[in-house]
Amino acid sequence: MSIRTRRLTKTYGATEALRGIDLDIEPGGIIGLLGPNGAGKTTLVEILEGLRDPTAGEVSVMGFDPMRDSIALRQHIGAQLQATHIPDELTAFEVLRLFAAFYERSLPVDEILERVNLAGKARELTRNLSGGQKQRLAIGMALIHDPDLLIFDEPTSGLDPAARRQLHEIILELKGRGRTILFTTHYIEEAEKLCDRVIILNRGRVVADGTPLDLIGLSEGKSTIFLDVEGPFDPAPLLAVGAEEQERRGSHYHFVAADPTAVIVALGEVLRSQPVTLTDMNMHRPTLEDFYLEIVDDPEGADPEADDSEAAERAAASDAEATSEEPGP
Amino acid sequence: MSAMRGTLELARAYLLQTMRSRSALIWTLLFPQVWLFLFALIYRNVPGGMSARMPGLFTITAFSGAFFGVAYTMVTERENGILRRIWVTPATATTVVVANAMRSLVTVAASLLMQGLIAWFALDVDFGPAVWRVVIVLAFGVWAFIPLGLIMGSTAKDMRSAPAVGNMIFFPLIFLSGAALPSDMLPGWLQSFSRMLPTTYLVQALEGVMVRGEGLTLQALPLAVMLISGFVAFGLNRLLFRWESTQPLGAKRVGAVLGGLALLYVVVALLT
Repeated sequence: MSIRTRRLTKTYGATEALRGIDLDIEPGGIIGLLGPNGAGKTTLVEILEGLRDPTAGEVSVMGFDPMRDSIALRQHIGAQLQATHIPDELTAFEVLRLFAAFYERSLPVDEILERVNLAGKARELTRNLSGGQKQRLAIGMALIHDPDLLIFDEPTSGLDPAARRQLHEIILELKGRGRTILFTTHYIEEAEKLCDRVIILNRGRVVADGTPLDLIGLSEGKSTIFLDVEGPFDPAPLLAVGAEEQERRGSHYHFVAADPTAVIVALGEVLRSQPVTLTDMNMHRPTLEDFYLEIVDDPEGADPEADDSEAAERAAASDAEATSEEPGP
Repeated sequence: MSAMRGTLELARAYLLQTMRSRSALIWTLLFPQVWLFLFALIYRNVPGGMSARMPGLFTITAFSGAFFGVAYTMVTERENGILRRIWVTPATATTVVVANAMRSLVTVAASLLMQGLIAWFALDVDFGPAVWRVVIVLAFGVWAFIPLGLIMGSTAKDMRSAPAVGNMIFFPLIFLSGAALPSDMLPGWLQSFSRMLPTTYLVQALEGVMVRGEGLTLQALPLAVMLISGFVAFGLNRLLFRWESTQPLGAKRVGAVLGGLALLYVVVALLT
C-alpha cells in the first residue's frame, strides 16, 4: 500500500481542516485530489509528506509514519510543493545536483534534465527560466532520486496550455514507469484526462472517490443534444423517450436528456419516417466538472485564504507568537 | 554519507550564489575595505596608528560578516520557501546550519584576507611577530559569532524586521567591545558591561597577538570564552531552527535561548 490513512484529522485552532479521512492508495497510477479552496487538499498532502503533524488518526506512507520516520520516508517520496522558490543564482544543472546530494541514491542529473525537457537549459540560471520551465525543474527535483511515490501540489497552476500539456506528458510517462502519482489540482478537466482515480474533498471530508468515468456516471446531469435538420421536423418521438426541448431556432434544435442513447435511437426512427434530413448533430455527456459542481456545496470555497494549510498554520503561529516575546536583542 | 555530501553540496551552492550576486560581493568583500580606509583616515595621527586599531577593525569585519551573513541567508531562504523545499528531502536542520556556517566561514575568511593584505601592503600595518596566531584567534572569533547569526536568523520574523533586530545587536557589540572605539574611552561601568560581550574577547585576543606580540597561551582566557560561547550558542540554536516562518517559535524556547546566552555571558564577566 502506498498510502493508508484512518480517521485522519487536522485542526488549526477552531478550524477543522481534515475531518476523519480514510484512504487506501495502492501502488501505481495517477490519483487526483480535487476540492474547493479550504477543502483540506494541501493539508492532507503536507501530512503525507511529514510537514504537518495530524491532530488525530493514523497515517502510513510507503510503510512509514511520516512524522516519526520522516527522514527515511523522504528517501522514497518525491514532492513538488505548491509554492516553491528555486535558488535564482544557480543553474538548472546545479539545482538538480544539489538536491541529488540529499539522497542516498540518485539518478544522473543529465537523465532528469532530459526527462523534464530541460536538457537545453542545463547551464541557464534558474532566474532566466520561464514559469513552465521552472515548474518542470521543480518536478525534476522531485524525480532526482527515482522515488516510487510522487506528490505534486498543483503542478500546473498558472501555466499556459502548452506548458500544462508538457507537464501532463511527464506525469503520464511517470505512470508508464509504474510510479504512483498523487496530485492536487483545480483543473477538473485535467483530472478527468489524466487520473485513474479521483478523490474529491469538501470541507475536510472525502465526498467522492472513484474513476473519472464512475464519478461521471453518478452525475445527475443530463446530456445535451444539438440537432440541425432540414424539412418539417416533428420532435414528438424524441420527447416520448424523455428528451426535453430547450430551444428551437429555425432548423436548429437543442434538447437535454437523461438517456441520450434512447434519444439517438428515436432520432433514427424519425429520420426514416419523416421527410427530414439531418445536417448536423452534436452531443455532450455530463463531465467530471458537472459531477464536481453537484457534489461540492461551495465550489469557490468558503475562504480562499484557507486553501493551503500554510494560511491556517500562519494564523495558528501568530496566535502562538502573540503569547511569546519578540526574540530581539 | 549522504548527510555529509548534502552538507558539502549545499555549502557549495550557497557559495556559488554569493559569488554570482553583485550585491553580496560588494557587501562581503568591498564594504569592509571602506571601513579599513575610514579607520586609516581617522586613526592616522593617533599613537600606534592603524596597527593599534587593526584588532578592532578585524573584529568588526568578522562579526558583521559572520553575524549578518548567516542571519540574512537563513531569513531569506526561510521566507522565500527554499528551506521548505529542502525540508521535504532527507536533509536535516544540521545540514542547513552547517552548510550556512561553512559558507559564512569562507566568505568571512575572504573578506578578512583581503582586508589584511591591503592593510599590510598599502597601510603598512604591523600584524605582530606571527601572522598564524592572528589567523587562529580570528578563527575562534568567527566560531563564536556564526551561531549568534544563526540565532538571529531563526528568531527574526522576516527580512523587514531582520535588519532592525540585527542592528540592535550589532552596534552595542561593536561600540562597547572596543572594536570601533578604544575601550578606555568608555566609562568604568560600561567597561564592566563590555566583559559580557563576545566581541570584547576577540578584540582582547587580537590586541594580545598583534599589538603586544604575545603568544597564544596568554590569550587562553579570551579564546576559551569564544570557544565555549560558540558551542553553547550552536547548541541553543537547535531549539530555535525553523524550516518556515509559520512554525511558531514558542516563548519558552526563546526564553531558554536568551536566558542561556545571558547566563553564559554573566558568568564569563564574573570570572574574567
